[in-house]
Amino acid sequence: MTNAGSGRAASLFQEAEHKIYLRTDRLFARLMIFQWLAGIVAAVWISPQTWIGSTSYVHWHVWAAIFLGGAILGFPVMLIWKQPGQVLTRHTIAVAQMIYAGLLIHLTGGRIETHFQIFGALAFLAFYRDWRVLITATVVTALDHFLRGTLWPQSVFGVLAASPWRWVEHAGWVIFEDIFLVISIRQSLDEMNGLAERQASLEAVNASIEIKVTERTAELTRENAERQKAEMALRESQELYHSLVEQLPINVYRKDAEGRFVYVNSRFCQIKGRTAEQILGQTAEAIVSAAEAEQSAKEHELIMRTGQSMEMEEMYPQPDGTNLYFQVVKLPVKNSEGRIIGSQGVHFDITLRKRAEAKLNEVHRQLLEASRQAGMAEVATSVLHNVGNVLNSVNVSSSLIADKIRNSKVSSLSKVVALLKEHEGDLPAFFSSNPKGKQVPGYLTGLASHLIEEQAEILREAGTLLSSVMHIKEIVAMQQNYARTSGLLESLPVVDLVEDALRMNADGLQRHNVKLVREFAETPPILVQKHKVLQILVNLIRNAKHACDDAERPDKQIILRVTGGSGRIKISVTDNGVGIPVENLTQIFGHGFTTRKEGHGFGLHSSALAAKEMGGSLTAFSEGPGLGATFTLELPMQRQTEML
Amino acid sequence: MNQAHAPTVETASLRKRASAGAWIMALLWLAGIVAAMAGITRYAIAPGREGEIPTHWPSASRIVPDTVRPTLIMFAHPHCPCTRASVGELARLMADCHGTISAQVWFVKPAGTAEDWTNTDLWASAARIPGVTVHCDAAGGEAQRFGADTSGQTVLYNQSGDLLFHGGITIERGHFGDNPGAIAVKALVNHQLTDRIQTPVFGCSLLDEECRPDKGGTTWKP
Repeated sequence: MTNAGSGRAASLFQEAEHKIYLRTDRLFARLMIFQWLAGIVAAVWISPQTWIGSTSYVHWHVWAAIFLGGAILGFPVMLIWKQPGQVLTRHTIAVAQMIYAGLLIHLTGGRIETHFQIFGALAFLAFYRDWRVLITATVVTALDHFLRGTLWPQSVFGVLAASPWRWVEHAGWVIFEDIFLVISIRQSLDEMNGLAERQASLEAVNASIEIKVTERTAELTRENAERQKAEMALRESQELYHSLVEQLPINVYRKDAEGRFVYVNSRFCQIKGRTAEQILGQTAEAIVSAAEAEQSAKEHELIMRTGQSMEMEEMYPQPDGTNLYFQVVKLPVKNSEGRIIGSQGVHFDITLRKRAEAKLNEVHRQLLEASRQAGMAEVATSVLHNVGNVLNSVNVSSSLIADKIRNSKVSSLSKVVALLKEHEGDLPAFFSSNPKGKQVPGYLTGLASHLIEEQAEILREAGTLLSSVMHIKEIVAMQQNYARTSGLLESLPVVDLVEDALRMNADGLQRHNVKLVREFAETPPILVQKHKVLQILVNLIRNAKHACDDAERPDKQIILRVTGGSGRIKISVTDNGVGIPVENLTQIFGHGFTTRKEGHGFGLHSSALAAKEMGGSLTAFSEGPGLGATFTLELPMQRQTEML
Repeated sequence: MNQAHAPTVETASLRKRASAGAWIMALLWLAGIVAAMAGITRYAIAPGREGEIPTHWPSASRIVPDTVRPTLIMFAHPHCPCTRASVGELARLMADCHGTISAQVWFVKPAGTAEDWTNTDLWASAARIPGVTVHCDAAGGEAQRFGADTSGQTVLYNQSGDLLFHGGITIERGHFGDNPGAIAVKALVNHQLTDRIQTPVFGCSLLDEECRPDKGGTTWKP
């Protein structure tokens, strides 16, 4: 037991002792009042009167019972009243009991039977469970026996001559009883002590329990508050969940291991055209067609078996002929042990998105078509321009040929022929004697030389004309090639593409004295849609030419670079033209953006789109106005799939 | 702790003073009780007055002595509570003597008392003792003749009328038990003693003061 515990046990023990003292005091108070009254009654009964002849008086025994008995017993009763439980009180009681017993012994002439009063009183005194009281009583009765046994032995022993040690015998018997009483008291005190210790221990346990209860109560209160908070949070969460699950345009369901619906939200019911009561507990067969149910069962079984989630899009035809589209996510339901106990799914209604996508795709397609047509127009313009230029050459060549033919000396030959026909009969003489005849050979020689020269000139012009016609053919073929709408991918040398684009701008570049610088690195063929690349490059080269024109500088120059690496091809067109302000770099590819009066802001936008469609990119760089610009087309070397 | 209940030096001092007062009172009480007890004891063992006991059977007596056995006569007050012990001791004595003595108890009836004055349980008790005859001593004449002043006064005369013993056969007022008087009577009867024996008598006065032969007052104190 701890110090505090032993202290509490001692306190409880003292408390119990004090209660015993009080209780025994009260017992003795009643006993002594009874003794006093009984003594009086006995005195009155046995010897009420004493006589002198015929005259009677109240017997002195009666007075002794009243007054001496009252004095002996009254004082301790007064102490019990005034000082209950005090040491002096119980020792005074002990003294009074022994003296009263002595009085009785004396009044009964030392009758041995009366001595039992002492033992009875000792037994009563033992009720105090205070051995000291017995000692006091023993000392008092021993002294009484000793004194009266010495002085008046007949008053205590009933004999006139008693042994001087007889008091010791009587005291010995008293002590003999004391021994048992003290042992009993000790045992009783030990029991009391044990009880006190047990009670202290119980109190300590109780206190501990009280503390624990208090702490636990506080914890419970706290936990309760936390639980209420958690419940509120849970309720809010549930409300949120309910709001989300029930109000968002999503269908939610959950199935048990056997594929029976165990939860469906209202939208799911709405889409299925059934109530939750009609769906819950049923399998998919109850709400969808047999084929869909079979598919659903397969998916459920797959999820149950593999634990894998799956995502797909599903289409549900509606009675009005429209279709609803859903993005469906199906995933397993696991219990706390991680075991799959069912499946669940969320259907996101993507009908609007699908419709928007379809519309977007249509717009995109239209845009692409417009872009393509626009690009084709650009190319056609270039082509027509080039064809026009070539036609000039054709025209010049045709004119020259016509002039040559018109001014040909062939007519002179006909004159010679006519002269020879005139002298047909006398040709030799004519040649030999006629002065004109003599000049004919020489004339013919000169004419022949002239005609040969003329023929050469005509042939040369015809060659030029043929070349121009071929050029026109090529340009037209290129246009036809570009105008093809098929998405055929071709593996083409990058340099050829660049050269084609240059050729399509060749006239303009030549006319404006733009110096071309080619810096072509060795690159592998590129798998692209030719017309798209040409569209972009024609655009870039023409823009570069315009930029050089606008700069009005004599050393107009366009640098074309082809580089490769990291699986990508870079084709850059760098001019030393007017350059691009920084603020325009961010919007230069935007639809409708242009800095040229005759521009429509579509070329770069459609080029950027085309580059992106091919998995590449188109970027612009300029250090600022007057510092030229570089446009770089970057394309992947291999492209397996092509976006529309 | 509540300050109102906190023991102060003043209350502790008062309590100690009260305790000391109680102890002093207890000691005074003890002293008084012891003194009273001593006084009572002293008084209790004080014998009653004994008159002039005739050494030879008084001739004026109407009581007839036994000529064969010693005659024992006890004078008793029929209402004296102390005499109950004397009668009791007489019964024991008679039983011990086995008929070797003749015993009579004379209950004194003072003059002027009612006829049933002697009709008491004490009379009946004495009458029940084997070998004892009970008589009424009207006006206490016999008591006076034998010099008996105190109830329980016992006299023993031999067959020759000589006084062998006079006194009481209790050691104290109303005390039962062995006593010198009874022992002496038995010894005398058995001839174990030859000297006259006297013992104190404890009991009420047999006669009113004015009836006493000497009228010299009394040693009895109520």
